[in-house]
Amino acid sequence: MKRRGFIITGGIVGGGLLVGVGGLTYMNKRIVKYSGLGMGEGESLNAFVRIAADNTVTLAISKTEMGQGVYTALPMLIAEELEVEMDQIRVVHPQPEGPYANLFMAEEKPRAIDGKLTMMQKVFAFIPNIITGGSTSVRDAYDHLRVVGAMAREMLLAAAAKRWGVSTAQCYADTGFVINRDNQEKFSYGELASEAAQQKAPKNPPLKDRSEFRLVGKAINRLDVPEKVNGSAIFGLDVRPDNLKYGVIKHPSQVGGTITSVDNKSEIEGMPGIAGVVQIEEGVVVVGETTWHARQAADRLKVQEDNPVPVDAIKTLTASLSGEPSKIWEDQGNITTVLDESEQIIEASYEVPYLAHACMEPLNCTVLVDGERAECWTGNQSSTFILNGVSEGAGIAKDNIICHTTYLGGGFGRRGETDFVLKAAKVAKEFPGVPIQLVYTREEDMRNDFYRPAVVANLKAGLGKGEVNGWKKKVATQGALAGLLGRNVPMMPMKNEDDPSSTEGLRNLPYKMTAAYTDLTTMDLPMRVGTWRSVGHSQNAFFAESFMDECAHAINRDPYELRREMLADAPRFRAVLDKLAEISNWSQPLAEGQFRGMALHESFGSIVGEVAEISLHGKNIKLERVYCVIDCGRTVNPGIIETQMQSGIVYGLTAALYGAVHVKEGKIVQNNFPNYQMVKMNTMPEIITHIMEVDEYPGGVGEPGTPPIAPALTNAIFAGSGTRIRSLPLSRHGYKFV
Amino acid sequence: MVLKINGKEHQVTADPQMPLLWVLRDLLNMTGTKYGCGVAACGACTVHVDGQPTRSCLYPVSSAEGKEIVTIEGIAGEDLSAVQKAWIDHQVPQCGYCQSGMILAVEALLHENPEPTDEDIDQKITNICRCGTYQRARAAIKTAAKYRMESLETTTDQADQS
Repeated sequence: MKRRGFIITGGIVGGGLLVGVGGLTYMNKRIVKYSGLGMGEGESLNAFVRIAADNTVTLAISKTEMGQGVYTALPMLIAEELEVEMDQIRVVHPQPEGPYANLFMAEEKPRAIDGKLTMMQKVFAFIPNIITGGSTSVRDAYDHLRVVGAMAREMLLAAAAKRWGVSTAQCYADTGFVINRDNQEKFSYGELASEAAQQKAPKNPPLKDRSEFRLVGKAINRLDVPEKVNGSAIFGLDVRPDNLKYGVIKHPSQVGGTITSVDNKSEIEGMPGIAGVVQIEEGVVVVGETTWHARQAADRLKVQEDNPVPVDAIKTLTASLSGEPSKIWEDQGNITTVLDESEQIIEASYEVPYLAHACMEPLNCTVLVDGERAECWTGNQSSTFILNGVSEGAGIAKDNIICHTTYLGGGFGRRGETDFVLKAAKVAKEFPGVPIQLVYTREEDMRNDFYRPAVVANLKAGLGKGEVNGWKKKVATQGALAGLLGRNVPMMPMKNEDDPSSTEGLRNLPYKMTAAYTDLTTMDLPMRVGTWRSVGHSQNAFFAESFMDECAHAINRDPYELRREMLADAPRFRAVLDKLAEISNWSQPLAEGQFRGMALHESFGSIVGEVAEISLHGKNIKLERVYCVIDCGRTVNPGIIETQMQSGIVYGLTAALYGAVHVKEGKIVQNNFPNYQMVKMNTMPEIITHIMEVDEYPGGVGEPGTPPIAPALTNAIFAGSGTRIRSLPLSRHGYKFV
Repeated sequence: MVLKINGKEHQVTADPQMPLLWVLRDLLNMTGTKYGCGVAACGACTVHVDGQPTRSCLYPVSSAEGKEIVTIEGIAGEDLSAVQKAWIDHQVPQCGYCQSGMILAVEALLHENPEPTDEDIDQKITNICRCGTYQRARAAIKTAAKYRMESLETTTDQADQS
């Protein structure tokens, strides 16, 4: 408790180079400084590990838990080296401070195992870049958190050795105790914690070989499950600070609109249980004694609005494709020559609509503004952005704000935004001393999303005898990542044309061709777009893997055999594909009326192949089963990987079957589950997952399951009916799911 | 009015039209029951009213007066229920937000139909789970059914012996 300290992780401030240089010294201090706030009783051995007298180990896990299992997988990495049991562990989410930054995001690579940071990594730690997204949690943590655990273990060993007057080599650590090899005497970590905290953190602690792992690589039970089956898990909507009031927001009814005035403010304020009506730039918030009171009143608001002229996004995007592209993203070989000289050309246009995230827990944020200080409670994917939002909305200095990060009732990219925090802070500022829980009703949540962009693509292939010579790929869209960064990191703006997410998974494919070309045309459209589980891959896998199927059929090749041949130089892809063919019995015929389709896609450092098997009768589809093979390198928790594959597939299936957000006369049509349908138990296929054993640095697992399912499914429909689906969702083409 | 929730009486002052969901969550601070859609479409707010699975977001509190209400907080005694145990065995929850409602729906299903078929499960468990935990939930329902049968047999055996 007392120790508010500094941790020197590995070589961060090592190297005299930086010492004495004012700005850099400040930078380095900020990178390592932490408060330990919220970590409870005990002694901190470093920013991540605090040990209490009763041997409870509190771990600061700076990635947020939204179902993807990081509150289990990341503690496993620390526990492996710290030599503690999972049931000793308590997980807390720390304040947004330097040591907790996601440094993988700086350069798409993990920090060096000796802790030396590159300049860009230092900048990300300085910010600090606390983000859970891009399927980076394990990729950021795999080496780093094992080092963190090992450093703490070495400090405990050193403390025990000092007590016994022996060398540390005489001692070993086991399940929360340090044991003297000579006489088997032992001290618990709890007994040693305060002395261990005085030890110098070792720079390069020894790490176990993989063969010695007792936790990592095993399907350990999740730490968060017990509280999620008895209702005690606290989500953002569940926080109940004293004197809490609830705010329900009404946004403008049209995309890009503004509420200019409220006609009946005094009438609303006179309703029972209503504490006030606050008009902010983004809408009008009614504050009441309960969510229900606030909602009843918000539904009765009469407002004046200023609305822009509506735009038809798909028409605009399609038209833009015939003009000059904004940027060429890939140009290998000579695509013009290759197309000219090919025996056969096929060309196809694809499109996908806007999609809402529809997290189960509607967006919400609770803020208390009290004098110069503020507190904030919310499930989020970036406490850095949250801090910005509270600071901006309430006008409070960041140093005077405490962020409480709860469980997330789903994230999928939506909770990486700050809109709900900014608005909550603006309202809370009007109620000093009173915590305000701002709630988006389901309707407001769905109609005020940052949507997966609508995208159109035109693909052209040059084909030879039994082979694919080249692909020319043209895409038009807005820019999901550019949208997110522009709103949340204004000092690092990204132009839409420079947004790598728009062509990710479409450019630089692993298939060997003589020429490949990808360009991007970007449009500014009124719909706000953002990152949606698997981002650009969510549509680009549909385009690329459907088109690969088109090519195979055009040259009378088996879709598996053709892919396999074109992956001669990509052994990890080929291994996944072969395993997929094996477990799905690809070469064996299916029962009468059943059909299958295949897709293979790399995203977030992992390769996933899926085969969808369906029964097809006219336009009635029954999803029989999905085979899924993933190569995500070394695994941390295969049980969680399997559930993430299931989860990603259901998310992608929901979009493929039903997902579409439409705008009619400027208004978003979809506003709740009855008109934005979900896959449920009765449409759920059986999913059979195989995880490859590959000794490579880990890849992500939260998103890579999503991209292949749409093309696997539509390729199965083609196999069964000869109908090529080039736009989603399937419900739009009259398909029904039984 | 007086509400009987999880076997305990609660004095509540509320508009009779106020849905039970918000009485539980915002007046009694029993936050295990979740708000998901407000139109009885997702099932996150499922509770039992006199043993019937009820989507509490559209259920006026006045209708609950004098009835036995059971929420996730009261589904088990000191031990976990068979469904909760099976949920842990199969590691069903991901984000966890829909799980209270899902578990309450399953408890009601098994009470009415101790050995549900896949078709029964498809028909009766219509809760939305955005994380897609359906496959493990289905397996857990079958395990829970087994646990319940076993404990029923044990109880019958004990009754026979006495």
